[in-house]
Amino acid sequence: MLNELGQYLPFLIPIAVIQLALTVAAVIHILRHDTYRFGNRALWLVVSICVNVIGPILYFSIGKGED
Amino acid sequence: MNALDLRSVSKSFGGKRVLDDMSFSVPEHCVFGFVGTNGAGKTTTMKMILGLLKADCGEIDVYGERVSFGATKTNRLIGYLPDVPEFYGYMRPKQYLGLCAEIAGLDEKSAQPRIAELLDLVGLSDANRKIGGFSRGMKQRLGVAQALIGDPKLLICDEPTSALDPVGRKEILDILRKIKAKTTVVFSTHILSDVERICDRVAVLNKGKIVLESAMGDLKLQEKSTSFTFEFNREIATDEILRVLRENNLEPIKYETAEHTIESLFLGVAK
Amino acid sequence: MRQFLAFSKKEFHESAATFRLYILLGLFVMFGMMSPLLAKLTPEIIKSLGDTGMMISVHEPTSLDAWAQFFHNVGQMGMLVLIIVFCGTMSNELSKGTLVNLLTKGMKRHTVIASKMFASSVLWTFAYLLCFGAGFAYTAYFWDIGELPHALLAFAAPWLFGELLLATHVFGGTLFGNIYGSLLSCIGAVILMNLLSILPGASKYNPVTLSGGTLPLLSGAGKPSDFIPAVLICAAAVVLLTAGSIVMFNRKKM
Repeated sequence: MLNELGQYLPFLIPIAVIQLALTVAAVIHILRHDTYRFGNRALWLVVSICVNVIGPILYFSIGKGED
Repeated sequence: MNALDLRSVSKSFGGKRVLDDMSFSVPEHCVFGFVGTNGAGKTTTMKMILGLLKADCGEIDVYGERVSFGATKTNRLIGYLPDVPEFYGYMRPKQYLGLCAEIAGLDEKSAQPRIAELLDLVGLSDANRKIGGFSRGMKQRLGVAQALIGDPKLLICDEPTSALDPVGRKEILDILRKIKAKTTVVFSTHILSDVERICDRVAVLNKGKIVLESAMGDLKLQEKSTSFTFEFNREIATDEILRVLRENNLEPIKYETAEHTIESLFLGVAK
Repeated sequence: MRQFLAFSKKEFHESAATFRLYILLGLFVMFGMMSPLLAKLTPEIIKSLGDTGMMISVHEPTSLDAWAQFFHNVGQMGMLVLIIVFCGTMSNELSKGTLVNLLTKGMKRHTVIASKMFASSVLWTFAYLLCFGAGFAYTAYFWDIGELPHALLAFAAPWLFGELLLATHVFGGTLFGNIYGSLLSCIGAVILMNLLSILPGASKYNPVTLSGGTLPLLSGAGKPSDFIPAVLICAAAVVLLTAGSIVMFNRKKM
């Protein structure tokens, strides 16, 4: 099973990288800024880390405050 | 020609009459103070001059041209500074003024020197960071710069000093005084000392009507009063003033050293 | 024209500054890559479950399974991403009041709407092309692509539905002037269309069919005439919503 999955790793890695990058970018942004349109730091950290893909983009488009 | 004429302008919001048959004129090349309490209708008046709001009835002329609601041509003559100017926080001042210049239709050659000139005027030449990190005072000064980009004949400022500390207020008033020679300035305020400092004419708006309109010089001599404020160009001992008054049979029932001294103290230490 | 270009330039600048550009491109490339991979891996995963004693027959995946995944991903996750990423285009400007400075400088109101639609359409088109490119490349690597009947219609359909979502955002944003109004009108429209598709025979005319429902064209089970009415209605809705936004914005008090 693992061997069979292994042959797809070159294809899986870019996908994992994109998802990880998105989550990490959101987390870094949340930790560096402390103004939010609504909610607080804890809420947005939980949402960004736990909700795959949708969590981070929710933060970037409706969660983050002004620069 | 008058820079601005309002004739019998009325405006209601949901049955509440905010402006009631209001008329006043602003002659060219003056600083016009538009005074009224919060909620008197100052912002509404300004937005109607800019065609952002529609007047229920009445006429507004800018340099003899009629204002119409929506995209009004008269706006090419006007620079507007909203009470809280909003910018794109991710831009730098030069980029923002560049956008404004393009929207206002300045050609590229004249835009760059104009932007440099304006940034110098408002003291933001060295502030090359994102506008999002600007203080209220800096945003207000950038607001003046964007309003002046198209070289308007009339500058309209909505409470430009109300939210600022004394340092910021002084900076804005100094800028307005500097541009007075080229541009007619109308600014609304509820801070009367600002009016005294820079205005040539003043109109007082109360309950939707102009209750007083006058040149500043006339205003001061117009009536007898029980209360006066004097400012001298040198330091004088309080006793000396009181002595002069008594010698002339004038007995004040109250005196105080003006707020200006506290303000100048603040300005001195906050530099 | 100058105002249009200047404002569109500002829109692109904003997309980069608010990460919208990178999020959109990154995620749609990912959706494109994921689709063939999911098609390839699903039987393997099921097979490994089969080891636990269940007997499941799985057929060998084909390129058609990859395209089925593609339409599924783009039609569901893709559209959700699109809705979230673009919800602030118009509404943020109105709720913050950032347009006042520009409008009082003689910026035409219809130019604002036109440039918003133009800039977001360019971004969306680019993201979707990348998505399709990645999906096509991976599918071609795993399988023989073979013939793709009515490919243009089949693959343009989700793009057109995306345009409908963008136009709805501009409309809702102009109408309500805040981000929640924009989001609600877009989500509301999608829910309404999904409810309508329950009606028998309605799916032929329903734009939501375009969002992931065009696989039958590729498999040969469907013909273009099944989808043309929905395409026309969707295109008309985009035009009407854009025109409606302009009319509404012209009357809007600032």
